[in-house]
Amino acid sequence: MIEIYGLNKIYDNRVEALKKITAKISKKRTAIIGRNGAGKTTLIRILSTQLMPTSGYALINGLNILKDEEEIRKKVSCIPQEARPVGLLTPYEHILIYLTARGYSFKNASEEARKALKEVNLWENRNTPADELSGGMKRKLFVAMALASNAELVFLDEPTTGLDPLSRLEVWTAIKGLGSDLVLTTHYMEEAQSLADELIFMENGTIIKQGTAEEVLSEFKGKVRIESRKPVDNWKKAGGLYIKYVDSEEAHEYVKMGYDVKQITLEDLFFKYGVEIES
Amino acid sequence: MVLKLNLRFIFAMGLYYGLYTITRGFSYVIASMSLPLTMLFLIGIISRGYLLKYAVIGGFISLISTNALSSAGDASFLRLELKFQDLLVTTRITRIDYMLGLMLSYLFFSLPGIVIYAVIGVVLNLFTAFRAFVLFLIMLSLLISETSLAFMIAGMMKHIRNVWGIVSILSIILSVIPPIFYPYTYLPKYVLYILSISPATPGSVIAQGVFGMQPFNYVMLIILIAETAFYFVLGMNFIKWRES
Repeated sequence: MIEIYGLNKIYDNRVEALKKITAKISKKRTAIIGRNGAGKTTLIRILSTQLMPTSGYALINGLNILKDEEEIRKKVSCIPQEARPVGLLTPYEHILIYLTARGYSFKNASEEARKALKEVNLWENRNTPADELSGGMKRKLFVAMALASNAELVFLDEPTTGLDPLSRLEVWTAIKGLGSDLVLTTHYMEEAQSLADELIFMENGTIIKQGTAEEVLSEFKGKVRIESRKPVDNWKKAGGLYIKYVDSEEAHEYVKMGYDVKQITLEDLFFKYGVEIES
Repeated sequence: MVLKLNLRFIFAMGLYYGLYTITRGFSYVIASMSLPLTMLFLIGIISRGYLLKYAVIGGFISLISTNALSSAGDASFLRLELKFQDLLVTTRITRIDYMLGLMLSYLFFSLPGIVIYAVIGVVLNLFTAFRAFVLFLIMLSLLISETSLAFMIAGMMKHIRNVWGIVSILSIILSVIPPIFYPYTYLPKYVLYILSISPATPGSVIAQGVFGMQPFNYVMLIILIAETAFYFVLGMNFIKWRES
């Protein structure tokens, strides 16, 4: 359980990355969704004790991020955004270094490394220098590190950004193998729905919506999205389109007028709140 | 306050990041030996062998200094580009464990060069057990002080490209200009004390004294001990760990 109370972060360049966020994360698997600059990474870095907030605090399973960092670090594992393996080290060595840093003995670290590498299908490449691994394998290595840590709570910051669809699927499978509670950030709706029970939508340093996919879309119940490529007065501009939400019974009127009618998806949250997002 | 070190992690970093990578990145090892070996050659030729001892003893000091200072680039790369440091911040290690782990890896990484110089030193009959021990201690204190300096620089950098330039300049100021490859008595006293801002200066002066090449200078011994402690504390405080 993560409890967040008035978390605020202002960087040296005066950018306010988090604007007094208050929230509770109680589901086993949570995805934080938002575009670049929404504040996802700042939030994860603060919760995992990499970064101090400007004000406010959070509790991780009852432990305060401001006072109990040593205890929290025993329980969490965090894979940073854009983390890359050290080119000359092998996957096996990466895990051993990471686990000794987490207090494991060499014997236990070696055993956990073996299990985790097998779990993510990297065992065959355990002695290959990381420079020679594919992009997907490199990301799977980080998932293996989180897996081997046996942490109570794992933070994954954009674990599949930049990967091709097949590699993404491989990484998803590896993530699904994690037994820990999970908080991940992503640009991808599909990824969030596939990996998480609860979704948190962030924009401009605030949380705009939180809940299951069904809950966050409840405001769109019984509605469809009408799209136009040409400007239409009083319609909202989003993602290069002009859109409007109407009751599904009215949809046929718009079809007659030549507009496209689309079913509601999670992306509509961003359309509604004026944000473009990759799909 | 009790200083509790994570020795397993420190050893793992030394072993995997230092020793094992020697064979996988041998070009880096050669590069780190190129300056001291070039100086050995030049000094040997120009002085017709007269200053060869200085080049050999200086070679040990230069090798450690060069490796330690270039660790600023390495530490910045691990932090800014690979996010490796961020990964470790959320574990049970402290900034001191991280620094010591990297220091040990640089010591291991310097081993091929140290072996080459040791062989030359043995051939030239430079060593006694006492001299070798003191030289080891000098190298250890240089490793600690100059790696700490490097961490200090790395902690202040926001862009990796700035680090390479600063390290190149510092390598010359801190590990070429000091009396590493020539007798320290060639320098006016005030210049010697100005140069002692680089730990390589007191390190070289002590080594030249212990190896009987020049008079022993006790003041430099005190300076080296003080600088090692001072730079270590500075490095520890400047290394970016949990960011604010």
